[in-house]
Amino acid sequence: MNKRARMRLIGVTAIILISVVAIVVGVGAGDGSYSRSVSDVVGDPEAAGERVRVTGTVVPGSWDKKSSPMKFDIRDEGATEGPQISVVYYGGVPSTFGDEVTAIITGTVNSDGVLESEDMITKCPSKYESATGALTIADLLAEGDGVIGKSVRVTGFVASGSIVPPGGATRFVITDEGGSPSVNVFYDGALPEGMADGSQVVLGGLLDEQGVFDAVSVSLSDTEQ
Amino acid sequence: MANLGNLFMGVALVAAFVSIAALVWGRKMGAKEGEGLTNIGYLATYGVLVGVTSSIAVLTAAFVSEDFRLEYVAMHHSTDVSALAWVYKLAAVWAGREGSLLFWAWLLSMFAAYVAYKRMSVTDEVSNMSLAVLNFVQVFFLVALFIPLNNPFKLSPESWIGPGGELLIRGGMNPLLQHWAMTLHPPTLFVGYAGFAVPFAFAIGALIVNDSSKLWVEIVDRITVFAWLFLGLGNGLGAVWAYVVLGWGGYWAWDPVENASFIPWLTGVALLHSFTVYRRRGGFKKWAVMLSVICFVGVLLGTFIVRSGVVQSVHAFQQDELSFWWFLAMMVGSMLVGLVGITYRSESFKGADEFDSLTSKESSYYFNNVLMLVAAVVIAALTLSPAFGGKTYGPATYDAIARPVGILYVFIMAVCPLLAWRKTDGSVFWPKIKWPLIAAGAVTAALAYLWWTVLWPIHLFSNPNANVLTSVTHTWEALIGFAVGALAITVSVYLFIVGAQRRALAKEEGFFKALGNLIFKARTQSGGYLTHLGMGIIVIGLVGSSMFVKDVRISIPSEPGAEFEVGGYDFVFTGSEERTLPNNDVVSTLHFDVSRDGRPVGTAAPGQVRYFKQDQTRLHVYVIVELLRDVFVVFEGFNEAGEIQMNVKINPLISWVWFGFGVTIIGTSIAMWPRRKLPAAA
Repeated sequence: MNKRARMRLIGVTAIILISVVAIVVGVGAGDGSYSRSVSDVVGDPEAAGERVRVTGTVVPGSWDKKSSPMKFDIRDEGATEGPQISVVYYGGVPSTFGDEVTAIITGTVNSDGVLESEDMITKCPSKYESATGALTIADLLAEGDGVIGKSVRVTGFVASGSIVPPGGATRFVITDEGGSPSVNVFYDGALPEGMADGSQVVLGGLLDEQGVFDAVSVSLSDTEQ
Repeated sequence: MANLGNLFMGVALVAAFVSIAALVWGRKMGAKEGEGLTNIGYLATYGVLVGVTSSIAVLTAAFVSEDFRLEYVAMHHSTDVSALAWVYKLAAVWAGREGSLLFWAWLLSMFAAYVAYKRMSVTDEVSNMSLAVLNFVQVFFLVALFIPLNNPFKLSPESWIGPGGELLIRGGMNPLLQHWAMTLHPPTLFVGYAGFAVPFAFAIGALIVNDSSKLWVEIVDRITVFAWLFLGLGNGLGAVWAYVVLGWGGYWAWDPVENASFIPWLTGVALLHSFTVYRRRGGFKKWAVMLSVICFVGVLLGTFIVRSGVVQSVHAFQQDELSFWWFLAMMVGSMLVGLVGITYRSESFKGADEFDSLTSKESSYYFNNVLMLVAAVVIAALTLSPAFGGKTYGPATYDAIARPVGILYVFIMAVCPLLAWRKTDGSVFWPKIKWPLIAAGAVTAALAYLWWTVLWPIHLFSNPNANVLTSVTHTWEALIGFAVGALAITVSVYLFIVGAQRRALAKEEGFFKALGNLIFKARTQSGGYLTHLGMGIIVIGLVGSSMFVKDVRISIPSEPGAEFEVGGYDFVFTGSEERTLPNNDVVSTLHFDVSRDGRPVGTAAPGQVRYFKQDQTRLHVYVIVELLRDVFVVFEGFNEAGEIQMNVKINPLISWVWFGFGVTIIGTSIAMWPRRKLPAAA
C-alpha cells in the first residue's frame, strides 16, 4: 500500500470524525435537554434559561386552544395537586391535547419561570386516575340522602363476575376492600382497557334515589399500573 | 387456541435445536460420514418453518374469528368498518409487540428455509454452519416469545368476556394504525430486519469454517439487497404514514422509533458496497464481515428501541425488564462473536486492499463506509442518550449533522462511478465529468432561481429577523444540497447514455435496445446507478420540503363563504358534514374550493374522525399535490368562539422525495433480481 495515500486517508477520516463530533457538541449543547419533573424545575432557582424536557399532566381548564400562542399549566405526571409550571406553546397543537393529558414539553424556562416551547408530544390520556380524595363505598353510603344527585368521585373494587354488557340497569358492582358494602353501577360507555374482576377503579358520577351509582367516567386506579 | 399456538411455537423451538445439533455434529463427523446428519439439519429447518407458520396461522384465525379469549386479540383487534376492514383484521397480527415478534420469527424461519432450499444440494461447510447460526437466532426469538409479556397466546382475564363471547372492556387497534401505509409499514420493515440475519449468519459461518473466499458473499449479496430494499420501503411507508396521518405536516422527525429503523438502513448501505469490493476486488473483507455483524446488531437495536420502551417516544411500547436484558444479551453477544471471530481469523480475512490514491474508487468506497458508520453510530448515540441519563436531542442536532454529512455523502456517491480503481487519472476523469457537471450546473441554476423567488421568501416568513448573513449555513446547505443532488442525477443519466452508446457500438444494437440490455443484463451495476439517480432526486426534495415549509394557522367563521389565503392559494369554505358509522365512529368533513391566481386548483376536504371504541380523535388531512409543492390542509377543530381552526402548510418539492423514493426502489429491485445460478461449493 502506498504510504502517502494511507496517511492522507487517515487524515481525511480524522477530519470527518472531528467535524462530526464538533457539530454534535456545538449544536447539541444548545439543543439537547435533560428530562426533569415539574416539581424539580419549580424548586430549582437556577432552572431559568436552561433547556429542559418536562413531562407533566395538563391542569384541567388551564388552557385555551383559541389563544395564540397557546398557554396552559402542567403539574407532576399523575398528580392532582402540587406545584405547577405555566407553559407558553408556539407550535401546532396535537389533536390529542386536552385536560389531564400527559404532555412532554421541550423548551426553555424564562426569567418569570414560564416554560416557552415549540415542541410538545402528547401521550394518550391516561386510563389511570388517582384514588386520592375519592370516597370509599362506606363513606359514600354514610353520607346518607344528602349525597344523592350530587357529583362525587368514588373508588372501589370490581366485584367478581359482576361485569355484564351494556344495556341493563347495572353494568358492574363495586365494593370496598373485603367485599362489603357494595353498590351497583350504571354505565353505558366503554370500560377502560385492562379492567377486570378485583380491579380498583375510580368513578365519577352521582348516586341516584334507587341507590345505583350513575357513572359518567370509569378509570382504573393508578395503583393498578 | 392458546394452547395450540404455544404448542406450535414449541415444535418450532425443538426443530431449531435439532437442526443446530445435527449441523454441528454432522460437521464434526466429516463431510462423508456426517452427510445424513447434515441433511437432518436442513430438513429440521423446514420443521421450524412449519411450526412458526402454524402458530401465526392460529393467531390470524383468532383475529378473523375475533376470539377475545386471547388478550392480544382483545387489545389489538380492528374496529374498522370501511372497505379495508378485512385488511386491518389481518394487520392486527402485527399491530402490537407480541404479534410483531412472532411475525419477525416467522419471516426469519422463511429466510432460513429459503437458504436451506437453495443450499441443500450443495451442503458446503459455510452454508451448513450459517444455517446453524440462523436457527440459533431463531431459538432466541422463540424463547423471547415465551416470556409472558411477549406471548401472543396469553389468555384474557375471564371477566373481560361476556356470555356471548363479546368483549366487555374497551380495547382495539390504535386508530392511528388503521391506515393502508401503516398496515404495510411493519411487515416490510420486518422483512428487512429478518433478512439482515442472513448476511450475519453467513459472515459468522465463514469465520467458523475459515473460508475467506467470496463464496459466502455471492450466496448472500442478493438476499442482502432484498432485505435492504424492504428496509427502505418500510422507512418510506412510515414516512408517508407520518405525513398523511399524524397531521403535523412533516414526514421525518428524528423520533427514536424512526431512527431505530434508519440506523440499520445506513449500515446496510455500507455493507452492500463492501460486498461489491469483496466480490470484484477481493478487498474490504473485514469490513464486510463486521458490517454484516453491525447490521444485524442494528436490526436488533431497532427492535429493542421500539419494543423495550428504553427510550421515551410517542409510540414506544410498554417497558419490560426481561425482554430488555434478553435483547441486550443478543446484541452484545452478536457483537462479541463478530469481534472475537474476526480477531481470531484476522490473517485469512486480510483483503487485497490497495489504496494507491485518495481519488481512487477504493477510497470512495472506504469513505462511503466511514460516513455511513459514523452517521449510524452518532444517531444511535443521540437516540439512546436519555436512556443513560443524558440529554434528549431534538431535530436541530440531528439536522445539523445530517445536512453536511448528507451533502458530502451524496457528492461521493455521485462521483464514485466515474473514478478508477487504484488511482484516478485527471486527464481521463475530467472529460468524463465535463458533461454531467455542465448539466448539473444548469439544473442547479434553475433550482437556485426557485430558491431566490420562492424558498428564500418562505424562510424570511418563518424567521422574520433572518438575513443573508445570519442564515449563511442554512443558505449554503440549501444551495450545495441542490447542486450535489443535481450532480447525482446528471452523472447517473450520463452513465446510462454512455453505457448504452458503447454497447450499441460493440454489439451493433440500436441505442434503446442497448440501453434496455444494459439495464437488465448488468443488473447490480445499472440498478445501483438508478438508485443513485433516485437519491439525487430525493436530496433535492429534502432540501425544499425540510428547510422551507410555510406553516400558517388561521381561524375562520364557520359559515359557507368564509375565505382565507395561504401562500397564494385562496380557500373558500363551502360547507361541512358529519356522519356516524355503524361502529359509532363519527366522521366530520369540511369542504373548501381552492384557487390560485383566480384559477381553480380543486377542492380540499380535510376532516376528523372520532373513534368511539378507542375514545380517540384522528385528523383526516387533505393534501393537494403539485409538481413544485404540496398544499397540506388540516382541520384542527372548532375553537371556543365556534370558529373553524385551520392549519395550512406549503411543502415545497415534497413530491420529489416520493418520486425519487420510487426510482430508488425500482433501481434496488433491479439490482436485487437473483442470478440464474448460485455458486457451488468452492
